[in-house]
Amino acid sequence: MSLSLELVTMCAGAVAGGLGALLGIGGGVLLVPFLNLAMGLPFAQATGISLVTIIATSSASSAVKGRLELVNLRLGMVLEIFTTTGGVFGLWWLGKRKDATIEQMFAWTLVVIALIMISRIDKRNVIKDPNIDVGVLGGRYMERESGGVVAYQLKRPIIAFAISFLAGIVSNFGIGGGIVKVPVLNAWCGVPIRTAAATSSLMIGATALVLTIENFQKGNIVPELAAAAVLGVLLGTQVGVYLQHRSKAKTHKLVMVVLLLSVATMYLLRIGK
Amino acid sequence: MSASRDFTRLEQIITSLMRAGVAVSSSVLVVGLVLAFLGMSVSTTVLNAGIVLLMLIPATRIVVSLVDAAIRRDTLLAVATTIVIVVLTGQIFGWFKFN
Repeated sequence: MSLSLELVTMCAGAVAGGLGALLGIGGGVLLVPFLNLAMGLPFAQATGISLVTIIATSSASSAVKGRLELVNLRLGMVLEIFTTTGGVFGLWWLGKRKDATIEQMFAWTLVVIALIMISRIDKRNVIKDPNIDVGVLGGRYMERESGGVVAYQLKRPIIAFAISFLAGIVSNFGIGGGIVKVPVLNAWCGVPIRTAAATSSLMIGATALVLTIENFQKGNIVPELAAAAVLGVLLGTQVGVYLQHRSKAKTHKLVMVVLLLSVATMYLLRIGK
Repeated sequence: MSASRDFTRLEQIITSLMRAGVAVSSSVLVVGLVLAFLGMSVSTTVLNAGIVLLMLIPATRIVVSLVDAAIRRDTLLAVATTIVIVVLTGQIFGWFKFN
């Protein structure tokens, strides 16, 4: 293992982590194609390494003070039943498919994510009466800016369960699945975006863990590269969070959409393969 | 009243635990990488230990959420957490290998 390979991985992790944090979508969507297409690692190793970095970012972002107040642990854990089983189902179902097929599915997932991002560029939250009955899986939190209490109910639970299962399958591509889950929970299930994001970023650690166990046992996690990627992603995330407060989200989202579509095109046309 | 105070304390403990976990595991990974650059064969063991430590963070978090459920007397959270723990355990021991 040469020194330069690890340095490149660390830098790639930093860039992916930074952009991921900046856009709130996680770095996996960029790290996997970089490791696979640019560095020539097998797809399984690229996703395995990416999953380890997801555990790191999930843990680091949840270790920030005040973050846990936003988490709806009850909702998160109930949805996690579906996400972990979706993840295990994905392991089995994708395990029977050829690499080329899996890579094509990954490409189409990226296209869907890009479309989700385009459709949500100007979306905001609707705030309801704080005294509503929040039900079994709803919740309340104190909003720092307004000082008011935001209350919400979980609407259309079936959709929430289904998207969580799907997010679990998609996690097999080395992406957290938050980008799939969060917009749906927000748009169709009535969960405020901050709660959805905080809950999801805590729970994807558990999802990534389930899949990492298998990858670890199969030897898909090259220790040197995984370590370099984790350190890079952790650094990049810090920078990304810092920049997030001082930049235009809309421009970045558009850049990300272009990036995602370019990577998807490369996979679909098998450029670099 | 005391349940909610317990819960706030638990949240603080969880936050510090996770922060410590990230700090410890990434330090181990740094040491492992340095050892790898020096060409020492022990580096792989150190790096794998760092990765396992990292994996222990979400694992601990899930187990702690059982404590959380007990403090809140929350049956639904307890049941959901138990199911997730079963899936995780099954993954470790290969209960779901159908291929």
